[in-house]
Amino acid sequence: MKIQKNTDCDVLVIGAGLTGMIAAARASCLGLNTIQTGNSSALFFASGLLDLLGVYPMDSGKIIKDPYSGIKKLQSDQPEHPYSKISQKQIRDSIQFLTNFLNSAGLNYHLSGPGNKQILTSVGTFKPTYAVPETFSNGCDLQRQEKNLLIVDFKGLRGFSAKQAASGLQKRKGKTYTLSIDLPGNKNGLNPVHLAKSFESKEFIQELSDKILHFSSKTQIVGLPALCGIHNSFDIVKTLEKKIGMAVFEIPGMPPSIPGLRLKNAFEKKLSNLNATFLSNAKVAFQSMKGDHFILQAVNDNLKTRIKARCVILASGRFPGGGLFAKRNMVLETVFNLSVFQPDTRSQWHQLDFFDSKGHGINQSGLETDDTFRPLDKKGKPVFENLYAAGSILAHNDWARLKSGAGVSCVSAYTAVNSFYKKIKIMSN
Amino acid sequence: MNKSIETQVLVIGGGVTGTGIARDLSLRGLECTLIDKSDLNAGASGGNHGLLHSGARYVYSDPKAAIECKNELEILKKNAGHCIEDTGGLFIAVKGDDETYIADFPGYCKKSGVYCKKIDLALAKEMEPGLSNDVIAAYQVNDASVNPFKLSIENMNDAVLRGGQYLSFSEVIGFRLKDNSIEYATVMNKNNGETFHIKARTYVNASGAWAGTVAAMAGITIKMVLSKGTLLVTSKRMTKRVINRLRKPSDGDILVPGGVVSILGTTSVRVESPDNIYPTINEVDQIISQGEKMVPEIKTCRYIRAYSGARPLVSAGNDEDDRAVSRGFTLKDHTDDKVDNFITITGGKLSTYRLMAEKTSDMVAWKHSIFSKCLTKEIPLPSSKSGEWSEPGVQINEPFKSKTVSDPILCECEMVPQKAIDTIINSIKQAGGKPDLKSIALRSRIGKGPCQGAFCSLRIFSHMYDNNVIHDYSDINDLKLFLNERWKGEQSLLWDQALVQSSLKEMIHSGLFGLELIKK
Repeated sequence: MKIQKNTDCDVLVIGAGLTGMIAAARASCLGLNTIQTGNSSALFFASGLLDLLGVYPMDSGKIIKDPYSGIKKLQSDQPEHPYSKISQKQIRDSIQFLTNFLNSAGLNYHLSGPGNKQILTSVGTFKPTYAVPETFSNGCDLQRQEKNLLIVDFKGLRGFSAKQAASGLQKRKGKTYTLSIDLPGNKNGLNPVHLAKSFESKEFIQELSDKILHFSSKTQIVGLPALCGIHNSFDIVKTLEKKIGMAVFEIPGMPPSIPGLRLKNAFEKKLSNLNATFLSNAKVAFQSMKGDHFILQAVNDNLKTRIKARCVILASGRFPGGGLFAKRNMVLETVFNLSVFQPDTRSQWHQLDFFDSKGHGINQSGLETDDTFRPLDKKGKPVFENLYAAGSILAHNDWARLKSGAGVSCVSAYTAVNSFYKKIKIMSN
Repeated sequence: MNKSIETQVLVIGGGVTGTGIARDLSLRGLECTLIDKSDLNAGASGGNHGLLHSGARYVYSDPKAAIECKNELEILKKNAGHCIEDTGGLFIAVKGDDETYIADFPGYCKKSGVYCKKIDLALAKEMEPGLSNDVIAAYQVNDASVNPFKLSIENMNDAVLRGGQYLSFSEVIGFRLKDNSIEYATVMNKNNGETFHIKARTYVNASGAWAGTVAAMAGITIKMVLSKGTLLVTSKRMTKRVINRLRKPSDGDILVPGGVVSILGTTSVRVESPDNIYPTINEVDQIISQGEKMVPEIKTCRYIRAYSGARPLVSAGNDEDDRAVSRGFTLKDHTDDKVDNFITITGGKLSTYRLMAEKTSDMVAWKHSIFSKCLTKEIPLPSSKSGEWSEPGVQINEPFKSKTVSDPILCECEMVPQKAIDTIINSIKQAGGKPDLKSIALRSRIGKGPCQGAFCSLRIFSHMYDNNVIHDYSDINDLKLFLNERWKGEQSLLWDQALVQSSLKEMIHSGLFGLELIKK
């Protein structure tokens, strides 16, 4: 039999992806008593790059240099987009909050300059993004650098080939070399998490340096797959740089994402210091309202928790996160059964071309909210006074195409928590 | 001056019929070259259920086809056993189905000599627990399922071993006619746009749904009726046996198990062209709503993929219902059309491909004045290495384990290891083809599991860069082509878990890698 438990909180955050983490972080920092539920492996799918807006307009496929001027245009073109509900200052403040929070957990983000950076990916494409972990910073805008470059891969690390990443640099002025390192015990494939852990050993760094040093006279900068350590990746990269006398940067690739794991660790460490409670892998169901309070039940393997919350932040994501669920002919919201904006019929969900520049209709679906990110009912009124939604569950937000995932997560989570906080502060004064 | 190839027989079309002809001719000692404008089984041979009919489906409308099916099934079970799963089958009727039609079934089967045995309903339910409670009649038949990809690969491999040649992505763009015969075919290599000539003594048009187009280049009119059929692949095997609905052929009346999945079909929609056909949302919904009447779990189960094929039917005149057009094959000696060395074989069905190849090869042999006997009835189809990874849902078992020592798995859904990919790449290279993700996918199970290529494409692609199979940045378009090929099969059935997977795919390939931004 499952153990029954009752608990109260100011804020219940549903979701443990980037959005949920930011909401929990903001709420805890404001001194709100916070409970968070969700699947703690969600961040294995997060690249660790903080995108604000990389492409606009979407169907132009045009990479934009300055995300803020892009956002300004988006705000005037698309009043229904989540960015159009807030000011540019709110976006800047939220990003500032996030990066400060992560820096204080030892995960430094590189924010220099106002514009987007172009980051080489493992398939050789360049991704526009706003802020990158410090360990990526030497790799920003490589196309314009003329330094000779070495890209390293590890035999048996599936899905990452130095030659493939280097193929994206064929038009560059500087020379690009590749090196494939054969580690013992790689025969059946290297586990990325294990490989990342081995970066934390001094012997491993020494061995790696010895193999790279062979190129030291020819190259000035070295790119490695983004798994240079799980903890203290910044220090590891610095140590490696010192040993080989070359700048080092990380290259993002397919999941599982180690930079995502670093984010998870950083958030979890700080949140537990701030006394936020995390109910891992719990399935949450809304039961009723008791006065102004939400009564929800969270169930995981051995525990049934009845949660009484003043405020709920719904950061449960879209389909992969489980915040939205698609039946054969309808999209539903899974915790409160809220009304979901969606295309009229399934025939409008997807284009015939996966890469169609118009994007897929299904990615416009989600929750429509007021300017403080409270979900609306069919009449356009907030469903609950203190229910907020944030991140990818928001409608009119094709973040994968616009390269705006982290930005929307961050500003909506931050704004939602702030607005609840403001409300209760006024009440208590 | 164009490059020129000489061969005794040029076979146009790499489906089961074309590859079957190539093997049959090679066994008779004739040298042949087979070309396909795409790759093996790109048409109807790759777009069907993989059903070997017992014949019972045709006893009402086409007893000749029924008998052919019955005989061919026996031959194939004996000679190509490694491509076949001897599942057995059931014909079932549910409440509301036409009672007269049901009552006539055993009589018609007997007339054609097709085995069928009435099964007690309780026993039927025991044999197939997934069957609906509304079943009112059940008959056991001898259906089997076949892997048509493996069949074509093995036929072609054997033909190549016996001196034949296979050229993929080689399209006939014209025939040079001289003195009532074809002097040579002009062929374009679709990988590089170069054209060359193939000079043969006999030309065999085995291009299935494209037979009309190819014949037209020799100035001959063949009126084709193209009937598009859409099929759905479930994520798990629903039944042990093939389940047929005992009613007049209609949508969603057949469920064929193969390996760890089942295939549910089909629809019949007249199309103008066999190119660029894809499953529509309406077809998918129609097939499911009919299929669930036989096996209720059809309504809620997960689907991996949908695909369509165009059945090449030869029109006999004014056909109202495409299902009523004969499923027998058409073999035409174009001497009647004043092209002496040209033969067209089309129509027919997967179940009788060998017989079609036999009859065609007989005609070719006759034209070459060779007195030969067809050997495909007697000599078993050999099993080769490059065919073995096309097997649906290879399970983890003892022989499998030994394959993967020091060999990372690149496709985790279907458990395809790196060495299997290397074997396939080599076999494509040996056939003069250009290995890319699409051609590897044709010869293996990669991309066919729940992730639909989201992960394995990246692992295999990076492995290909590593091994210098590909080098250039522009090769990234192969990745896009492959993902789009998968997408064609996914887009009509994305709900529930399938939508979760496709969203992840978009997060990776669009969100992170930005593949949609690459300009060609």
